[in-house]
Amino acid sequence: MASPVNQVGSNRVLDRNGPITDGWERLADDETVKPGAAVLVSFQRLKNEHNALFAEAAAVGVEVGGDVNLDELEPFLPRLGLIVVRFAFMRDGRPFSVGRLLRERFHYTRDLRAVGDFIPDQILFLLRCGFNSFEAGPDFSVDALKHGVAAYTVWYQRGVERNVTIAERRLGKENLGQESA
Amino acid sequence: MYIYDDFDHTIAKQRVAEFRDQVNRRIKGELTEEQFRPLRLMNGLYLQLHAYMLRIAVPYGTLSAAQMRKLAHIARVYDRGYGHFTTRQNIQYNWIKLEQVPDLMAELATVQLHGNQTSGNCVRNVTADHFSGVIDGEIEDPRIVSEAIRQWSTFHPEFSWLPRKFKIAVTGAEKDRAAVQWHDIGLHIVRDDAGEVGYAVYVGGGMGRIPVLATKVRGFLPKRELLSYLEAILRVYNRYGRRDNIHKARIKILVRDLGPEEFIRQVEEEWEASRHSGVNLPPEEEIRIARYFEPPAYEKIAVPVAAFEDAKKANRAFAQWISTNVHPHKTPGYAIVTISLKPIGGIPGDASAEQMEAVASLAERFSLAEIRVSHIQNLVLPHVRQADLFAVWQELGKIGFANANAGLVTDIIACPGLDYCSLANARSIPVAQRISERFADLDRQHKIGALQIKISGCINACGHHHAGHIGILGVDKAGQEFYQLTLGGAGDETASTGQLIGPGFSSDGIVDAVEKVIDAYLDLRQPNETFISAYRRVGPAPFKEKLYGVSR
Amino acid sequence: MSKADTPKVLTGNLLRNGATVYYTGSGWSAHVAEAQVAATAAEAEELRKIGAAAYAANLVIDVNVVDVQPTAEHRPTHIREVIRATGPTVRPDLNKSMSPG
Repeated sequence: MASPVNQVGSNRVLDRNGPITDGWERLADDETVKPGAAVLVSFQRLKNEHNALFAEAAAVGVEVGGDVNLDELEPFLPRLGLIVVRFAFMRDGRPFSVGRLLRERFHYTRDLRAVGDFIPDQILFLLRCGFNSFEAGPDFSVDALKHGVAAYTVWYQRGVERNVTIAERRLGKENLGQESA
Repeated sequence: MYIYDDFDHTIAKQRVAEFRDQVNRRIKGELTEEQFRPLRLMNGLYLQLHAYMLRIAVPYGTLSAAQMRKLAHIARVYDRGYGHFTTRQNIQYNWIKLEQVPDLMAELATVQLHGNQTSGNCVRNVTADHFSGVIDGEIEDPRIVSEAIRQWSTFHPEFSWLPRKFKIAVTGAEKDRAAVQWHDIGLHIVRDDAGEVGYAVYVGGGMGRIPVLATKVRGFLPKRELLSYLEAILRVYNRYGRRDNIHKARIKILVRDLGPEEFIRQVEEEWEASRHSGVNLPPEEEIRIARYFEPPAYEKIAVPVAAFEDAKKANRAFAQWISTNVHPHKTPGYAIVTISLKPIGGIPGDASAEQMEAVASLAERFSLAEIRVSHIQNLVLPHVRQADLFAVWQELGKIGFANANAGLVTDIIACPGLDYCSLANARSIPVAQRISERFADLDRQHKIGALQIKISGCINACGHHHAGHIGILGVDKAGQEFYQLTLGGAGDETASTGQLIGPGFSSDGIVDAVEKVIDAYLDLRQPNETFISAYRRVGPAPFKEKLYGVSR
Repeated sequence: MSKADTPKVLTGNLLRNGATVYYTGSGWSAHVAEAQVAATAAEAEELRKIGAAAYAANLVIDVNVVDVQPTAEHRPTHIREVIRATGPTVRPDLNKSMSPG
């Protein structure tokens, strides 16, 4: 049976401020689409059944790994409402690049979510690479998340959120981009 | 020297606060060891055989006297009174308590020191020529771009979880003292035909169990475009470097597996798509950083300096020290002093708190309060007036650091080995000590001439044995320490990988083997021919014969 | 490397300060001579369980069961463990003995 993402293995969805409610249902490849549902499917199923999926579901999301071929994903981007990038393990650094590329090169603007064994201490960098939501296990500490997101207030590098870099601040160019909280 | 502004200090303080919180969560059990380990490694904290070890960066090898005093203080208060200077312009403390690390880091941050990214799968401490800014013929001081890279690589949002560690080195002169071809990225500052300054870019060098010299991926990269080009390299590596096998995860394997042409094509393609995305340093920022590395106000000194020339004539030991440990400075009347941390029978790279403080005092009195750390595990006083050299030499003698052996057979690089390191298979330091004692006679050392012996206690090659003229690798053979011998490695602009010469030696036999190799060299060398030149001329055969009796 | 019939002790490093320690049967000691020795495979398995529990309780890390000689000193058989038990061989001034006192 299709299950709300919020209940999959007691996972829950968070943004930078804490848990959020979420209407996406993760479908196994052999599960049928409930008309009007917001469905999250594998990339393989998206490639095989995109016509039917986009016709039947209210919204379509896709889950990919850090090894995703972004050129293959590109044709679907305008119609996707959610992209979930899976960490194969905590130290998997590929989702950081995938996030930045989706936002900066492919100009994807909708929900970009990380799932897997990342820890709260990694969230700030994920935010800076363009992710805006996170699917995490029941042990994922919301306190640590809030703490980690606030750990740094200035950065040497520009992130996807177009923060002003330290070099730009030194030049007095504080208004180059939108500063994120 | 680069001086932190409020932004740099803010980042440094926030890092300390973040790690304090992480240590607290670990001790309370909110973080598991599996989760905490990469976090502590990225702060330079390892668990070794006897305790935690903390590795502190000396960015591009430049230290102030005040920073050296702080390192001495750390040794005394948080450790057992000494520290170990490493082959990557870092210092390590061997007896650290996890609970005290946040306070230790807070103290370091007050003098612009830290352990950030001295371990872990991230961009490590950027290293540079230890003679930067003071030798003749340099196109540009490599510390300027090294500081820019330090800032760019610090807590990079995209490249903090790479497949494996990532080391960058920069050199600004023709003579390469930074071993750039042995690094994941090596930058050699060059001029193009139009006289514009830029970089020759090398990628994919590295030691470990598969030693590889870097591939030159670009003969000339314009200076202003460096950071975007580095991002392109890192992005290709972060996306496609192997993560399934720790021994195949370095960028050298990606370059090998793709082939250099395909690797370069992917990097260039990525760079074309991203080079205008605002990653490059604003020109004003480069000028701002460069200002901190402008030459100090040297005195105008007439040469030759009579007192110095007279002292050399009058004192043979002093003259011997000058010949090995003092290098010409680009400014008339000045000199660059190498302080050998290789006393006969001592532990290579070790310095006590008292010795560190004495060096800090010497730097304050005689070297414009500046010190360098070299990858050969020595210290450098970069701005000494020739007239002060005799006094410096005498003062160094009082702390056991006046050895006239820089670049000679007893100037041995050795990793901590099985005496400290949890990865080691065999001890390195005792082998270095016994070789040092065997060749203690200074006249004999000077007769042998330039020779680099480098010893690693395991295949990770922290002792750079692959780049040693004579390399020694410790292995575990059925529970016994055993040592393999390689010959012909080099880390300079003529970089080469040492070749295994034959069957290994027991702990007792390795020193005799080294002596036989050196005897063979003395027998066959031509006038003024160094060991490495002789080896390259004759190859391994005469050395094999001397070691094993018959040619194989 | 580890042989079934060799006596074994449980060792690790304390999480809070990194000190090398040995399980004594009731707690942890810096001295291998005070360690509880497992003479049989079953006893060694029991030590492994105790080690895993101490790791899970965030008390010790780098937990291992290592071979020792059948003497009162419990001198480890492998040089790595001898050095862990006694300290760096190049700094005798900092070395600790295998037994207290």
